[in-house]
Amino acid sequence: MKQFTTHTLPRILAIVSLVWASAAQADETCMSPYMAKIVGQEDVVYVWTLGEEGLGDEQDKLVTIDVNPSSPDYGKVIHTLSVGGRNEAHHSGFTDDRNYLWAGGLDSNKIFIFDVHTDPAKPSLFKTIDNFEQASGGVVGPHTFYALAGKIMVTGLSNSADHGGRTAMVEYSNTGDYVATHWHPTDQDLRGATKSGKYADGYGYDVRALPRRNAMFTSSFTGWTNYMMDFGTMLGDPEAMKRFGNTAIKWNLHTRQPEKIFDMPGAPLEIRCAWQPNHNYCFTTTALTSQIWLMYEDESGEWQAKAVGDIGDPSKVPLPVDISITSDDNGLWVQTFMDGKARYFDVSDPFNPKQTYEKVIGAQLNMISQSWDGKRAYFTSSLLDNWDKKGEADEQFFKAYTWNGKQLELEFMVDFKAEKLGSAHQMRFGAYGLYGLPRPWEKPANASAGKAASTDAAN
Amino acid sequence: MRVALATVAAILFFVSVQLALAEDIRLAPGDNKDNYESADYHTDSLALPQRIGAPADLLSFATRKQTGLPAPQHPANNQPDAQKIALGRKLFFDRRLSRNGTMSCAMCHIPEQGFASNELARSIGFEGRSLKRNAPTILNVGFYQRLFQDAREFTLEQQVWSPLLATNEMNNASIGQVIKIIQSAEDYTGLFERAFKQAPNMQNIGMALAQYERSLVAADSAFDQWLYGGDKSALTDQQIDGYELFIGKAGCVNCHLIGTQTALFTDQRLHSTGLGFQTSLGDSDSPITVQLAPGVFTSMEKARVESVGEKKPNDLGRYEVTLNPADRWKFRTPSLRNVALTAPYMHDGSLPTLASVVKFYKQGGVEHELLSPLIKPLNLDNDEQSALVAFMQSLTGDNVSTLVADAFAANNDRAHNNNKAAINRTAE
Ligand code: HEC
Ligand code: HEC
Repeated sequence: MKQFTTHTLPRILAIVSLVWASAAQADETCMSPYMAKIVGQEDVVYVWTLGEEGLGDEQDKLVTIDVNPSSPDYGKVIHTLSVGGRNEAHHSGFTDDRNYLWAGGLDSNKIFIFDVHTDPAKPSLFKTIDNFEQASGGVVGPHTFYALAGKIMVTGLSNSADHGGRTAMVEYSNTGDYVATHWHPTDQDLRGATKSGKYADGYGYDVRALPRRNAMFTSSFTGWTNYMMDFGTMLGDPEAMKRFGNTAIKWNLHTRQPEKIFDMPGAPLEIRCAWQPNHNYCFTTTALTSQIWLMYEDESGEWQAKAVGDIGDPSKVPLPVDISITSDDNGLWVQTFMDGKARYFDVSDPFNPKQTYEKVIGAQLNMISQSWDGKRAYFTSSLLDNWDKKGEADEQFFKAYTWNGKQLELEFMVDFKAEKLGSAHQMRFGAYGLYGLPRPWEKPANASAGKAASTDAAN
Repeated sequence: MRVALATVAAILFFVSVQLALAEDIRLAPGDNKDNYESADYHTDSLALPQRIGAPADLLSFATRKQTGLPAPQHPANNQPDAQKIALGRKLFFDRRLSRNGTMSCAMCHIPEQGFASNELARSIGFEGRSLKRNAPTILNVGFYQRLFQDAREFTLEQQVWSPLLATNEMNNASIGQVIKIIQSAEDYTGLFERAFKQAPNMQNIGMALAQYERSLVAADSAFDQWLYGGDKSALTDQQIDGYELFIGKAGCVNCHLIGTQTALFTDQRLHSTGLGFQTSLGDSDSPITVQLAPGVFTSMEKARVESVGEKKPNDLGRYEVTLNPADRWKFRTPSLRNVALTAPYMHDGSLPTLASVVKFYKQGGVEHELLSPLIKPLNLDNDEQSALVAFMQSLTGDNVSTLVADAFAANNDRAHNNNKAAINRTAE
């Protein structure tokens, strides 16, 4: 791996991110380097949850779970906030100051901005953006919410012209004002990017940045038509199966210009960049072709992409979905939806990942969030409303595990069906310490904040 | 005099803009997947910000006779009118006319995809719910005597309420709710009043949409110029061979009619080809082939597919309307005009290409007791099959690009207007 050297442009960015990185121990390792970090143990996990017809109030909600073992409410759902509608709740992300959590609906294109700093145990709805499609000039399916300095980069999955996969990233200010639409390069308009292979499909999915290299990376999934379609129906529809992304893109972070398009066949999804200052690489995995891919800066400073390993038996389509890198860059968790497995890969040599552990977490599995020290890992079950398994196998859960480097041990679970909540999707951590607030149960008994929190905990 | 000159200038401008833009329009998905089966596949994708288009004179298409089709017919109480067409066009592209603001008519009847859907076999609607059928084209829909593939509806004015209310399409809560959405949207202020001398109501919403649909007339194809226009060079030799087979040995013309003055390519009647029978009663347990990436395929057990999916629904066709067992699996003969633009084919979109449709007819459809006697195994060699395909590719109307460019312009107007006028859905 090429050693980190400071080039002119990234220098300022690099300094900024180093300041933050050294400020504290971060929480989960998938977050933006621009973001404020939690010190120590996370107190709550926010689960962006899909409403299910016939279950409870049938609408999407933000579910807050107490995950601090020292709390009297440890392991309990302490708050739920219903937002109206089944929006195809999917991903969420904080603003860089971590005061607000943005959560998107892949179907309705609504973006719900929750205030999580006033009372971390009881998020409130601060603002709803309901003109994402119109403001962006036709982008559909707000997916990743990624904090940049004072901005939020929202990746789209689709468009309102044909509900296919061509799409853009849409940039917003932290206060929810539209800033710009950055279209993914297509053959007709490469926008200055170079095609390194045969593809420039214009599809999008995730975004991550490596500020010290002035680099931003995106991956590619599929349009509304497919992500909203019944999964089995889609597998049996040869036309639909052609509509998946086969590209990842390296962008100039500062100018937001696409620079290089990599061919990456089979729908590369989540991107996780290494944390160590001399590790200039990011991982992603392809959902359909079940490969681990590495995007890395080579000896000459050029960015390259390479398939570095298989996940399970690709011919069986295990469907790798979420991934998570450890903060020392030595491990990569890869979740496979179809067999419900969490798989741990040793990636200390990023070019030769080796699977060293696996465990079935449930009948189906999607997301993971791990603590910065890697000792705690949380899992949820739902992939997409119409892709989740049918019948008994449609388990919906939040499961909290500890990881000792060898084994995952279940600490507790919340059954989202039994609790009539819905389908559990993405998780984000919260902590009182972030906002200079004391933990309620550590406060004197007469304090009002403590009272509010314990009232809340009753449900 | 001055007015006349201005009109001529305006028409000339119109024509030149249309010609300039029509050339740029690709009559296929902007996201090209031709040859995706092969590892050699390469993309040829279009940039969405360049999907701009230009308005067309739709009134002329609604009223003018085009070579190969009869003059468009309109109900006595809904005669063509530029304001009404414009209003219907606006409604057709309006995503707000669905319960959660995501589905317009045009999300399934996609302009550059032949006003159909090329990218999936059976449509999906509200919240991704599956439909049983493939979305047919809206081009020339005004020439059908009965609508839908099971012929269950009779006028376009009435038809619109099916998708507007169907829980798996646009899923509006009620007729009144649709009217309220339109009434509370600022950008509709005065439009119904000017066009219909009435506020929006159940009837005139249907009338406006029907007016737009009846303006989507697309004939004067190479075939029309050849057969009816006297241009003997308009078809290739192969296409002429295909035509001979179509009206001769292959017997297609028995149902897809071609007249002496005009050709609708439909007998307006219903027949069973056996496809519906096959889905209902045929073998459905064999593994399926699933494409994972260009040139990459795998085989998947049915049980695995069904662990994450619903079963393919039966489709009993006309029977579902009449409950008469003799009507099982019967579907209305579709017109073949513009058929090159509307893949995949048949009521369930199960045949991907025109070549696969010809192969299906060659084997005589699917044998069963209700198979139309007009369908039987055909003795067609490869050249003959290709000729039939080539013939069907000559049926694309020469103004389709103009209609598509017009639709692009309509969609861009929508995005602009809706941004200014979000619908008020505040709680009571
Ligand atoms: C969710 C996708 C979807 C939406 C939205 C949709 N359609 Fe359709 N449309 C279809 C399908 C599928 C069919 C065929 C249904 C059948 O034959 O039973 C169809 C059939 C039709 C037909 C009949 C065509 C024929 O050949 O008889 C017309 C006309 C039509 N649609 C117009 C509209 C209008 C107008 C709207 C909006 C108000 C609309 N559609 C919205 C999918 C859709
Ligand atoms: C017995 C009447 C009949 C005959 C003969 C017939 N067709 Fe058809 N055709 C139909 C019907 C009915 C359908 C609709 C079937 C369905 O949707 O399942 C159809 C569908 C089609 C379609 C698909 C159109 C679309 O939009 O999906 C094509 C193409 C076609 N026919 C071509 C031909 C050709 C070529 C021949 C001659 C080899 C032929 N047909 C002979 C009745 C007939």
